Amino acid sequence: MAIEVAKGTQQDLEENHSGIGVFLLHCLKNRFVLYTLSIIGFLLIWYAIAVLRILGNFMPRPLEVVNQLGIMMVDPLAGRTLPLHLWASLQRVFIGFLLSVLIGVPLGLLMALSRPINSIVKPVFDLFKPMPPISWISLAILWFGIGETSKVFIIIIGAIVPCVINSFNGIRLVDPELYDVIRMLGGNRRQEIWEVTFPAAFPAIFAGIQISLSVAWTCVLAAELVGAREGMGFIIILGMNLSRPAMIIGGMVVIALTAWVLSLSVGQLEKWVCPWKREIH
Amino acid sequence: MAEVLRKNVSPFLKILPYLSIASFFVGWQLLVDLDIVPNVLLATPTQVLRLFIDKLTNENPDGAVLLVHVWTSLQEALLGYILALAVGIPLGLLMGWFVVAEGLARPLFEMIRPIPPVAWIPLAIFWFGIGLSGKVFIIWASGIVPCVINSFVGVRMTNPTLIQMARTYGASDWQIFRQICIPSALPMVFGALQIALAASWTTLVAAELIAADTGLGFLITMGRRLLMPDMIVLGMLLVGLTGFAIGILIDRVERRLLAGIRR
Repeated sequence: MAIEVAKGTQQDLEENHSGIGVFLLHCLKNRFVLYTLSIIGFLLIWYAIAVLRILGNFMPRPLEVVNQLGIMMVDPLAGRTLPLHLWASLQRVFIGFLLSVLIGVPLGLLMALSRPINSIVKPVFDLFKPMPPISWISLAILWFGIGETSKVFIIIIGAIVPCVINSFNGIRLVDPELYDVIRMLGGNRRQEIWEVTFPAAFPAIFAGIQISLSVAWTCVLAAELVGAREGMGFIIILGMNLSRPAMIIGGMVVIALTAWVLSLSVGQLEKWVCPWKREIH
Repeated sequence: MAEVLRKNVSPFLKILPYLSIASFFVGWQLLVDLDIVPNVLLATPTQVLRLFIDKLTNENPDGAVLLVHVWTSLQEALLGYILALAVGIPLGLLMGWFVVAEGLARPLFEMIRPIPPVAWIPLAIFWFGIGLSGKVFIIWASGIVPCVINSFVGVRMTNPTLIQMARTYGASDWQIFRQICIPSALPMVFGALQIALAASWTTLVAAELIAADTGLGFLITMGRRLLMPDMIVLGMLLVGLTGFAIGILIDRVERRLLAGIRR
C-alpha cells in the first residue's frame, strides 16, 4: 500500500502545473480511464481484423458474435437451445465434482491420519498423478461409450487429485503448536482430531475443492470436445466443424462467464463456511 | 519429530509401498488374464511393454515410430511454453509496477483468464490448422495465464520498505522496477514455470486428441479408433512419464538459478 501512497504524492506534485496536457496526463494515470481505453481498443482491433479480413473469413465481427448468441438462446441447436446445452455441461460437472469431493476428501484425510493407508494408497496415487486427466478420455470412451458415464469418469479422475492432495497436505501442515496446546489442556486423540486437525486443515481442504471445481469444468469441456451430443464443448466443436467462428467465440464467452461465476460462488461459499480463514495479502 | 517417527516405523510399513505397487500391477495383469475385464477394453502391463518395444522401431499401424510421436509433442509443447514465458513474464512484471501497463492489459487479461485452456482448441484449429502453429497457439494461450498472474503478484508482494528506501535515495521508477521489484519477484516467477508447464502439457494432449497426425495424444486417439487398448495405455503412460521428466528438469534448472535467493 505504501506504493500507492508514494505514487499519490507524485501525482499531487504534477497537479500543481495547470494546463490541458497535464490534465490528459493525469487521466492516463487513472485506472478506470485506462481500463475503458483498453476495452475500447480491444473491440476496435477485433473489429478491424474482422472487417479488413486479416484472418480471412475466420474472424467474425463482435456484433456477429452477440447476434449468434441471441440466435442460439432461442433456436435449438442439435435439439437444444444454448441454456439447455449449458445445463447439460453443468449437470455433469456437479455430479462428477460432488463424487470426487465425497471420495477425495475422506481419502486424503485418511491418508494423512493413518500411516498404513498412506503407504498403500500414496504409491499408486503418485503413479497416476502425472497423467493428465484428459489423456483418460480415450479409455473412458472405450469403456463407457460417449454417454454420461464417461464424462463423469473423466471429471472424477481430474477433480479428485486436488481434493486428495490438499486434504493430505492441509492436515500435514497444521501448526504443531496447536497440538501442544490441546494436549496441555488434556484433550484426547478424538478431541485432537475434531477440535484442532479438522478446523485448522479446513481452509486448505476448501482451496482444494475450489481448484477441483475449475478442473472439473476444464475436464468436461475436453470430454465434450472429443465426443458428445450436447454441452458447451459440443457447441464449440460444432462451430469448428460447421466453419462458424461466431458460434465458437460465442460458446467461449459463455464458457468463460460460467467459469467466472463458478469460482466466484465457491469463493463466497468459503467465506460463509469457514470464516476463520486468515486472509493473505 | 519426523526423525523420531521414522525410527519407530515397523519394517512392515517400510515395504508396504513396494507391496502396494507390486500388487497393483499384478492385480491389473490378473484382471485381464482371468477375463474379469475383457482384453478388448484393457491391455495387460505385459502387452503394453511388448507394444512399447515393438513401437520403438515399427511405424505401423499409426504411421510413425514412438520417438517421432514424443518428439512432435515435445516440440509443440516447448515452443508454445517458451513463447508463453517470453510474453507472459515481462507482461506480468510490467503490470505489477507500471499503472499504465496494468490499466491497459488488465481488462484484456481478466477476459482471457476464466477461459479454460481447452476451450481455445476449436478456435485455434480453425484459425491455424492442425499443424504446428495451431498447437503452439493453444499452448501459448494456456501457459501465459499463470505466467502473468505469478509475475504480477510477485512484483506486488515486493517489500514496500525497500521501495521507499530506493525512492529516498532518488532512484527512478525504472531503476526501482529493475533493481528491486524484479529480483524480489523471481521466486514467484519461477513458481509459474511449473504451473505453466503442467497447463501446457495437459492442453497439448487435449489438442492432439482432437486434431493431429502425430504426437502422443494422437497415439491415444488412434488406439481408440483401432480398438487397441494397449496403444491407449502406452500413450497415457508416455504422456505421464514425459510430463514428469520435464517437470524434474525444470525443477533442477530452477534450483540452480535460484540457489542464492530462496530461503
